[in-house]
Amino acid sequence: MSNTTSDDSLITTEVQADSNDDRAASAAETAVAARDLNVYYGDERAIDDVTMEIPEKRVTALIGPSGCGKSTFLRCINRMNDMIEICRVDGDVEFGGKNVYDTDVDPVALRRKIGMVFQKPNPFPKSIRDNVAYGLKIQGFDGDVDKRVEESLKGAALWDEVKDQLDSSGLELSGGQQQRLCIARAIAPDPEVILMDEPTSALDPVAASKIEDLIDDLAEQYTVIIVTHNMQQAARISDRTAVFLTGGELVEYDDTAKIFEDPEEQRVEDYITGKFG
Amino acid sequence: MATDNANADGFGEVSRVRGIVFEYLSFGASVFGLVALGVLLVYVAIDAFDLANASPEWLLTYFLTLVVPFLAFCLYSANDRGVTRRALGALGGGLVAVAALFTAVETLVSPIPRLNWQLAYLFVVGAPATAYLAYVGSGGRVGAVGFGLLGRLVGGVAIGLAVGTLFLVFDPLLWFLAYTLGVLPAVGLYAVGRRRSTPRAQTAAAPVGLAGLIAAVVLRDVVSTYPSDLIIYLWTVAVPVAAAGGLLVAGRRGRTAAAVVAGLPLAVATAGGFLAAGAGLPAPTVLLVLVLTGVPTAAYVSRVVDAGEGLAGLGLPLLLGAGVIAGALIVEAWGVPAPDPWLDGSFLTGAPSRTPTDAGLYPAIVGSVIIIALVAVLSFALGVGTSVFLEEYTPESGPLGTLTRILQVNIANLAAVPSVVYGLLGLGLFANLLGLGIGTAVTAALTLSLLILPITIISAQEAIRSVPDDLRRGSDAMGATRWQTTKNVVLPEAMPGVLTGTILALGRAIGETAPLIMIGAATTVFRAPDSLFSRFSAMPMQIYTWAGFPQADFRYGVVAAGVITLLIILVGMNGTAILLRNRAERGS
Repeated sequence: MSNTTSDDSLITTEVQADSNDDRAASAAETAVAARDLNVYYGDERAIDDVTMEIPEKRVTALIGPSGCGKSTFLRCINRMNDMIEICRVDGDVEFGGKNVYDTDVDPVALRRKIGMVFQKPNPFPKSIRDNVAYGLKIQGFDGDVDKRVEESLKGAALWDEVKDQLDSSGLELSGGQQQRLCIARAIAPDPEVILMDEPTSALDPVAASKIEDLIDDLAEQYTVIIVTHNMQQAARISDRTAVFLTGGELVEYDDTAKIFEDPEEQRVEDYITGKFG
Repeated sequence: MATDNANADGFGEVSRVRGIVFEYLSFGASVFGLVALGVLLVYVAIDAFDLANASPEWLLTYFLTLVVPFLAFCLYSANDRGVTRRALGALGGGLVAVAALFTAVETLVSPIPRLNWQLAYLFVVGAPATAYLAYVGSGGRVGAVGFGLLGRLVGGVAIGLAVGTLFLVFDPLLWFLAYTLGVLPAVGLYAVGRRRSTPRAQTAAAPVGLAGLIAAVVLRDVVSTYPSDLIIYLWTVAVPVAAAGGLLVAGRRGRTAAAVVAGLPLAVATAGGFLAAGAGLPAPTVLLVLVLTGVPTAAYVSRVVDAGEGLAGLGLPLLLGAGVIAGALIVEAWGVPAPDPWLDGSFLTGAPSRTPTDAGLYPAIVGSVIIIALVAVLSFALGVGTSVFLEEYTPESGPLGTLTRILQVNIANLAAVPSVVYGLLGLGLFANLLGLGIGTAVTAALTLSLLILPITIISAQEAIRSVPDDLRRGSDAMGATRWQTTKNVVLPEAMPGVLTGTILALGRAIGETAPLIMIGAATTVFRAPDSLFSRFSAMPMQIYTWAGFPQADFRYGVVAAGVITLLIILVGMNGTAILLRNRAERGS
């Protein structure tokens, strides 16, 4: 990374590199869509009337200051918010042409189609093989598990590092390797969407950059939705960016290049140039 | 900058008197408790083994053949010159100090009955110092191997005894049929299904097993000729145990090692069983103990041999065994009068008697082992079930949440209910209302399970609560149902903690006397219980009874022997459970 003094110019350079990417954001089908989505924790509103469409097989970044509801939005997509007893959701989240909050949707079955990677690497205290095969096991997969484990580890760019120690514990890996193991675990059951909740914020810069490269590759097969605090990261890896501001309001949602070069809203410009948030 | 030199004589002083007083008071309190218990154990051990009447020659012989080699082994494995020096200092300096102290107490305070200063030295300095060395030595490579093997031997014998007594209680003929018709085909089908990955064979396993069990119950009285007990045990227990051990090893170290680990102990145990049958000993028990000790030991030795490190440590058990035999031979040849310990073979295998020298503990040991085995199973199953329900399944808010909180508080209160009250509950509920019988083993087991259930539940809850939420969320996000998350992630991670709590609670259950008195357990029975519904006595009951006898030999010698037996069995069971727990810990 160059020693640029201003955040702004740094982001601009990176975005220009990114806009050369062959994936044009606008020409894709919609994978996930939110319509008039409101989320409340008790009486407090965490998401304020959000409507957005997330394109298929692209990387969509959600950025914004702490407490702006971006993680809450992410957890609405696979209904992980159901685990929080005081949480209440209004409005629709469409995935695969179906509102996931319809009464006939089984959230457990829904989560089998949507992978998730958390902020802190959380491999199970099992062997590397069992970690990756976990989703297959609970879904009663009856094909060749070992082959699928290998493919997933290759997909998470971890195979070469661990192929000789598949039976050792996943906890023996380094932080970055653990996070890639979690990504391998998430892609093993072949989901359609992968949700990532600040996947690199607990990692060192080298490990983080490996994950970023990986996310780029993943977008060829999967729809990736990533929450990040790191604006450079959002600029580098995403095709579309949504900016949430305090109160759970979706202020601006557009192609990443547009957001970082020429945002419509003054508040967004203030936020990404560091004047606010 | 203006300085007025206020700090010229330092910064003043802050008083630490309270902290220091607190520190020494707490130290004194804990040391007092340990020392008091230690002194009691010394007296009990001296009584149990009749060491007070041992001749100095006898003591010297065993010191040379048993204690010195053990000490040398510890020093060799300690590998730490500081520790070695400290230990030698303690042993040598302690020799002088104990002699002086003993003489002083004898002459100035009061005579100490049945204890001479050499014995006091052995216990006050010798035993703690060697124990310390053993502990330090067990940290080193060599020592860890030796003590690991010792632990497996002790644990294996404890399991063997437990399994053996359980088999005495359950009908071996029924088990023979159930195993042959139900368990074996079901396991076989399942294994075949696994290997060929045909799910149909796997699903068929459960119904086939169930049909086999039912057939066994029906055929139990129809079939008239059965093989001998020894053959039944060989076929239904020894062979499967050896096969299981071999399979476990085969997965890691290939077929040859597996064949050795399974075949060698099986051959030795079979030979031992038939020899014992020829010599009129209880052949099935010999077979079980040999195979259950042999298979883990063989697996362990083969692993150590494979690793190629710390081989010398395997010598420790051999050293101790050889020391005992050599000591006995020397004493015999020398013609030294040996003490007549109360705790000997006939005490462990004999029935209670009116004469102290004939008194035995066997029926009570069997009773205690049966009860503890049942209590372990019941309280583990109920405790884990309840704690999983309370921690994982109940909501935190709403009417159900309130109900859960009420339950929680009451479980905590139950832990404080005196054991006599549980005894009364057992008498009313299990013995009378459910008609399980007054003073039967099953009534006692159910009562004791209820007694320790709160402790088991609370500790299991703690263990489950300490599983990081990250892991649960990770599993949930993979699309696992709550049951799958609990079974695959939460329980394996919580298992070491759950086992620790259960072990501590079992330690309490084995020593309980009050509830047993309440449910009408016999103080003395002359035959070992042969079913779950027969009258039984437990070790603490029997010891309590002996303590009230008028003869001094009962009150000192026999009670001491009983206490030592109770302690050894308790330590053996705890040791086994701790081995299991450590295994679970290492697995995660």
